[in-house]
Amino acid sequence: MQVLGHNALRFFPYLTLLAFFAPVVVGLFGTWIPALGYLPAIGSKEFSGRIFSGLWLHPSFPKAVWVSLISGVAATCLSFGLSLFITIQLYGSRFWNGLERTISPLLAIPHAAFTIGFIFLISPSGWLIRLVSPGLTGFTFPPDLITNGDPYGISLTITMAIKETPFLLLMIMGGLNQLQTKNIIWVGRSFGYGTFGIWTKLIVPQLYPLIRLPLLTVLAYSLSVVDLAILVGPSAPPTLGVLIDQWFNDPDLNMRLSGAAGASVLFTITLLAIFVVLLLELFVRKTTTGFLINGKRNYLVDRMQWSARMLSGLLWLTTLLSLLILVIWSFTHVWRFPSAWPTDFSERFWQKTIPLLSEPMLVSLSGGCLSTLIAVILVLGCFEYEVYRGRTSSYSVGRTSRWLIYTPLLVPQIGFMFGVQIVFTLMDIQGSWLGLIWVHLIFVLPYVFLTLAQPYRNYDQRYMDVAISLSQSRLISYFRIKLIMLSKPILFSMAIGFSVSIAQYVSTLYIGAGRFATITTETVSLASGSDRRIIAVYGLCQFLLPFMIYSLAIVIPALLFRNRRGMQN
Amino acid sequence: MTLVLEHITITLNNQPLFTEVNLRVEPGRIVTLMGPSGCGKSTLLSAIFGNLAPCFRLSGEIVLGDRLLNPLPMEQRRVGILFQDDLLFPHLDVAGNMSFALPAGTHRHDKKQIISESLDRAGLSGFEHRDVATLSGGQKARVSLLRTLLAKPQAILLDEPFSKLDQELKQSVRSFVFAQIRTLNIPALLVTHDPEDAPDEPIFNLGAGNA
Amino acid sequence: MTPRIQKRCMILLSTFLSLFLMGNAAAEEWSAILEKAKGQTVYFNGWGGSDVINDYVRWAADITQERYQVTVKHVKINDIGGVVSRILAEKTAGKKSEGSVDLMWINGENFNTMKKNGLLAPAYAQLLPHHTLVDFENKPSTLFDFTVPVDNMEVPWGMAQLVFIYDTEVVPLPPTDMNALLAFAKKNPGRVTYPVPPNFHGTTFLKQALLELAVDKEPLYKPVSESVFAKVTAPLWAFLDELHPVAWRKGRSFPSNSSDMKQLLSDGEIFISLSFNPAEASNAIKTAELPPSVRTYVHSSGTIGNTHFLGIPFNASAKEGALVFANFLLSPEAQARKGNPTIWGDPTVLAISKLSPEDQALFAAVPKGVATLSPEELGTVLLEPHASWVEALEKEWQKRYSR
Repeated sequence: MQVLGHNALRFFPYLTLLAFFAPVVVGLFGTWIPALGYLPAIGSKEFSGRIFSGLWLHPSFPKAVWVSLISGVAATCLSFGLSLFITIQLYGSRFWNGLERTISPLLAIPHAAFTIGFIFLISPSGWLIRLVSPGLTGFTFPPDLITNGDPYGISLTITMAIKETPFLLLMIMGGLNQLQTKNIIWVGRSFGYGTFGIWTKLIVPQLYPLIRLPLLTVLAYSLSVVDLAILVGPSAPPTLGVLIDQWFNDPDLNMRLSGAAGASVLFTITLLAIFVVLLLELFVRKTTTGFLINGKRNYLVDRMQWSARMLSGLLWLTTLLSLLILVIWSFTHVWRFPSAWPTDFSERFWQKTIPLLSEPMLVSLSGGCLSTLIAVILVLGCFEYEVYRGRTSSYSVGRTSRWLIYTPLLVPQIGFMFGVQIVFTLMDIQGSWLGLIWVHLIFVLPYVFLTLAQPYRNYDQRYMDVAISLSQSRLISYFRIKLIMLSKPILFSMAIGFSVSIAQYVSTLYIGAGRFATITTETVSLASGSDRRIIAVYGLCQFLLPFMIYSLAIVIPALLFRNRRGMQN
Repeated sequence: MTLVLEHITITLNNQPLFTEVNLRVEPGRIVTLMGPSGCGKSTLLSAIFGNLAPCFRLSGEIVLGDRLLNPLPMEQRRVGILFQDDLLFPHLDVAGNMSFALPAGTHRHDKKQIISESLDRAGLSGFEHRDVATLSGGQKARVSLLRTLLAKPQAILLDEPFSKLDQELKQSVRSFVFAQIRTLNIPALLVTHDPEDAPDEPIFNLGAGNA
Repeated sequence: MTPRIQKRCMILLSTFLSLFLMGNAAAEEWSAILEKAKGQTVYFNGWGGSDVINDYVRWAADITQERYQVTVKHVKINDIGGVVSRILAEKTAGKKSEGSVDLMWINGENFNTMKKNGLLAPAYAQLLPHHTLVDFENKPSTLFDFTVPVDNMEVPWGMAQLVFIYDTEVVPLPPTDMNALLAFAKKNPGRVTYPVPPNFHGTTFLKQALLELAVDKEPLYKPVSESVFAKVTAPLWAFLDELHPVAWRKGRSFPSNSSDMKQLLSDGEIFISLSFNPAEASNAIKTAELPPSVRTYVHSSGTIGNTHFLGIPFNASAKEGALVFANFLLSPEAQARKGNPTIWGDPTVLAISKLSPEDQALFAAVPKGVATLSPEELGTVLLEPHASWVEALEKEWQKRYSR
């Protein structure tokens, strides 16, 4: 933009890169160097591969790697399969519209809050068994079953799959909007293809490239998650992420080196897993060309709509029940097995907790707002620069930059936070607002970028041309026309960015230096073992902030443009 | 004010899109540009409007009155444009769309007056607070033109503005547009591939560049 | 007590006596610290997993603010090891002052690590006026933290002793030694477990079992050596091999910590929980976390006891403020409140006999709590084995049960 100055706009991509990419790279090196044995603070100054080879001698390490790999890959496959199945079976139905409308509040539920509720749902002394005991089961004491924390990571897999499926569904919804899905379906129908045939042969091959990166983030997240794995993962041995976390917290400082080495291994495993998925994609592409054009039109699965309804219904229900349980527990005084319902209620935990929560809530709110605002400004600047470059040269944001944007989401957090901590301490911004906002930006920026990219690029630039010729000012046109026309997606991306900031745990802990108590650090520190009734109150409050912001992102444009039909879709 | 195109050629990868254009549009006149689809009619309009895509090369001079437009950015050219889509801003009502085109310093009261008079002329009295999405196709086209004219352009470009309207509407919208342009006494360039769209004025045939 | 420890006790005691004699100088020094502390903000890093404890810290912080104009912020953390990491990162980055931690709740291995790596401020505990009230004579663990000499580099804060918690309505007669526990588990399959090592409480359970089962206990108080380890620990592994098949979830999954155990006890999944706080059961009854019928018991040959401390890192930003807050936490007023099972129930480190009659009355007024054992009932306190056994036990445990 000339009035804003192309010169000014030119800096946005660099600033953005500096904001989210630089810390990752620096953090990785800051982790790799100790992994090779160099950490002068504890008197270790020799570079060697000793620490890596030592990892394999640790009794828990091989199994931990194995369990992480299996549960991470299984959770990814499960959520991908589930979201695809639901989409294929239900797209275009009224049920699907219902899913579309309710998906964002579902995403606003923080992982920790959901998991705490979910555990109480499924554990042997949980709500499901209490509801039918002792009447149907005869249990007066909970049965000794492994329903959560099993050594194979099955419960961890299922928890992650439930939590990630709505995310992938949302990404699929975005992708389908980009394709002309309805037209493709009509064309397919006219050739006599059934639903399954149309989707697998016509839509999915086009859809997949659009959701490939989100899918890989799910994979990376599932492989390396720590807080969830502490809550529902196996305990002896735990997953690799948890093991690394233990090493970073071990009383023996030499274990920091193992922690750094383990983090590097986790990073490598994640890269390998991503590589395998890409290879697999290539393989599927090569081997299914025959299937795509074999002309077979009808498949049995076409008659499975009911099961997709059931599955998605179950998914939504589980999430809601997990939340409902938190509500019940937060008002419970006494609730013992096998009562189906608390025997004594009390609101004292709310009364007691609310005044204590005002400060952490405020910190979370300020951190979330600031980092989201900065992220949105940077991202808008980048996109506008792209529009400008698109007009003056053949430049466009290519594949490389898309992968760059995804880097912080593809690299395990625990794989570079230790390094970031050291570097931020060197820069003396550890424990400062600058440090906190910056470390949140690493994760907020990519999400804002990704959710805004498609609507921004689809914007009909002729509106801007007309506006500029009418107002003779680019700035006025930008702020009064383009930004406001895009306010819905912008607000939505801000809501996503905000909830990402709210959910930050490991990063806040490492960089906040204890100076910042957020609602999430308070919740997780309590969740490490405390009164379920108080955890419930904290968990609900943790859910409240993103829920509020999501609601605002939906309500504000709805109110503002209630008389503007053109803004409703 | 006169719009003059002198020795205009546009090339893509060193291939000219059309034979050299020399054209003069007097104020109040509407020149129709015709030619087979893909011959570069709209590209020529973009060059005049100032948003030519970077892959094209323009040579020759575009002069409006005593100003050479070539080096000027879009916002300084004072050239209005109408597309086949109305491009009314969906978040503003009719009055909002129109007042966006009025100079920034205009007093609120004056704005109101100007808008209502202009709507009266178009037979859209009392439409100020209508949501633009609820207007009919013909009404949208009219508001879109009114909006363009309120910005007081020194020339106007019409890029197939009637092609999305049905037959009966076309007639009335067309005569409304032409009448307004003549009253304002500015040069206009119309791109179309429907000869019926052209007013009783000169038609300029854009020749294919390779021929 | 081993002769070596006794000797060190004597040396330290004489240090304190001489300090007492220079009382005047010390008083002046203290008033200078009080003056300097005014307006400082102390970041107190401590485990934040217990709501009861968080409430107590908040109370102490409010009073410190009011009386000494020192602001205390409780940084609630999961694992103090992370804080040690952060201080290490600060040291790596050459940050010799204005560190992010002013005071931390610490003991055992973490203290040993910090002391060894120079992450603690040089001796300072002797500066606190209330430090002289500590019962060093009868509580040796206030001088030796997991056998590591404290050397005034941390301030004793509270006493801990391993106790077991059970519900009298479910278990009429609790098992009072490890063999009885095994028999109990066989009779009630799936109802006995312990936190997963290297969790602090989990490792303590292993040490307790080892102290009970080992034939020759002498080597446990010396640095561990490979030749001795196998022989001494053999009965422990035999015990666990027998226990796991009848343990909760057949020993394939373990609770993550003692709070997790308490929750499982409350849910009825397990019948016996453990804690380092003898008043935990009374407290949990009060908050209705556990049913009113729960009680506490200890093993007949005694249980492991230790002390938890307050430490100041070498680069603390508000060292004076930290000293002032630590001194308040050590005051009879704060210690008596801490001992109250309806508040927290953490036993005091002070010697009641050293207190003024008014202060003694404070302690006399503290209710015992329905489920708390009296000092006599708590029985013998077993000293922690040498710190090196911790890592060796955890390693071997992982090799056997966590692979």
